[in-house]
Amino acid sequence: MVLAGVSLLPGFTVIGIVLGGIYALAAIGLVLIYRVSGVLNFAHGAVAMFSTFVAYQVSVKSGAPGWIGLIAAIAVGIGIGFVIERFTMRPLTGKPALTKVVITIGWLLVLQTAAGLIWGANAYHRPVKLVSKAGFRLIGTSVVVGYDQLTTVIVAVVLALGTAAVLRYTTLGASMRAVADDPESARLWGISVNRVTAASWMVGSAMAAIAGVLITPLINFDTFSLTVVVIDAFTAALIGRLTSLPYAVVGAALLGLAQTYPRAFFSTSGVSEAVTFALLLIALAVLFRPGARKLRIA
Amino acid sequence: MIGEARTVRWTAVGVGVALGVVIPAFLSDFLRSLAADAAIAGLIVLSLVVLTGLVGQISFCQYSFAAIGAFTVGSLVAGHHWDFWLALLVGVCFAASVGVLVAIPALRLSGLFLAILTIGVALFFDRFLLAPGTWDSFSGGTSSWRAGRPSFFGIGLKGEYAFYLFVFGALVLACLLVWNLRTGKTGRVLRAVRESEVAASTVGLNLTAWKLTAFGISAALAGLAGGLAAVRVGSVSAGSYGLLQSLLIAAIATVVGVGAIASAAAGGIFLVFIPEIIHHTPLSTQWFPLITGAALIFQLVYAPEGAVVDAETRIMRRFRRSTPEVPGEDSEVTERVLVRSS
Repeated sequence: MVLAGVSLLPGFTVIGIVLGGIYALAAIGLVLIYRVSGVLNFAHGAVAMFSTFVAYQVSVKSGAPGWIGLIAAIAVGIGIGFVIERFTMRPLTGKPALTKVVITIGWLLVLQTAAGLIWGANAYHRPVKLVSKAGFRLIGTSVVVGYDQLTTVIVAVVLALGTAAVLRYTTLGASMRAVADDPESARLWGISVNRVTAASWMVGSAMAAIAGVLITPLINFDTFSLTVVVIDAFTAALIGRLTSLPYAVVGAALLGLAQTYPRAFFSTSGVSEAVTFALLLIALAVLFRPGARKLRIA
Repeated sequence: MIGEARTVRWTAVGVGVALGVVIPAFLSDFLRSLAADAAIAGLIVLSLVVLTGLVGQISFCQYSFAAIGAFTVGSLVAGHHWDFWLALLVGVCFAASVGVLVAIPALRLSGLFLAILTIGVALFFDRFLLAPGTWDSFSGGTSSWRAGRPSFFGIGLKGEYAFYLFVFGALVLACLLVWNLRTGKTGRVLRAVRESEVAASTVGLNLTAWKLTAFGISAALAGLAGGLAAVRVGSVSAGSYGLLQSLLIAAIATVVGVGAIASAAAGGIFLVFIPEIIHHTPLSTQWFPLITGAALIFQLVYAPEGAVVDAETRIMRRFRRSTPEVPGEDSEVTERVLVRSS
């Protein structure tokens, strides 16, 4: 049993890293929104879920190529992000952060129920195909890496680096960092806080959409399982103290591996969730203890 | 004037209780069973009134506490042939202790992170603890526990009206208990903790103990609701105690307002009877969470104090116009809670 488990580990490492890449994407979107607007977006997973089901509708049910589905998902993600920010966050500028957080719970319920009404409560297993599932053998080992898995990791890494670069080197990125640090001062410098906040919600939601579409080959997805990806994203983001993108990516990789390895040894389906919960508790207890050191976004 | 306000309040409570007893007497058994469900849901809303309204902590895992009550009753009564009342007592105590356990990490976390923690707890219950294969002697594995209705001092609770009265009595007693908490010493202490933790600790209050107590009481109320739900439905399965139910009840509690004890009744009625009304419209009952979510968003953007609190304030103000608002009274509670925990 244990030996059989150990022999699975190399293959599971690949799966874990792919899963980690997807969590990283979701976590980056979450951190971006949190840092710029101060809102912990509990609807992040629901946005990912809804966009993913649009991609499913477009490319699996209607037969369009996968990339069109992905584009549709990103468009829907951006749209939802815009609506949430423009109509339910902006009117509450200056109100307590907790009110806005509870509003995202409302959005979670709305999106979750709407998707259930449209697509039903079934579990789906036909993924949105973006890249061929064929793969290559990793040199010197027996581990086969699928091109789709490789693409997922590359997309995650490129988008993570891209976001970091945008934050560091562009005007929009500088404005975002300024708003994240101090909205009042940013306003004094002539930055349109509303526009920057809206941009962060739209970009963050687009990342959620991409993460959702990429995760479809890995799980039997239904409206609920995709919605609760938000807690995985939170765990990864908490490891980066909800601030640092690089640490969030590291946290996501750690989480992906920690969720995958136990499956080699235990047949109980819930073990990954137990591991996630343990990591979440540790992150909250250690990194958010009173007086913990502050990190920078990028 | 204040005396007059108090008379009005107690008259309203008396009329409410009387209506709660009398109206279901004229209803069909089906509606009576829904009324019992509403009273049980009211207990869970009440548990949020204690936690959020009194101490300013938020929780998205009340149904996980309810699950502890329900599964304790289910496994002990169905699996070990215990007496229902003993099983219920054990269930409530078990739920209270888990509540205290959840409160330990919560002691150091502010509102936002408490939200993440409690969602984590709800998912942990949902997908690990109550999932088949983890702890089957508690969760019942893939099958669900079956538990029959007990009798109450020799009175059988098999009839829907008798059972409803019993559950309604439990809700009224629990409300009185919370009312007592709020107006007595405990209430003053909890309010002090909610308003300013620093100030409360400088006058020598033990914050840790009080917060743990509040979580314990809240979880005990939810556990009681779960234990009652177990015999109301007659079977216990994990599907009814998920994260989405917890989010939904938190949304409803926010919509009706967590500042007033009357919200418990309003919230319970909302949760059970609105889907029933939707059922008679062209929409399916599946629309209910969507409508609740939309109501939550709309209300927080446009009427942030909560519907019931709003109404109560308006009524009480009519009788109390000449006296200034008592700080920490119902009216401003939600707003204050939200401000304080941010």
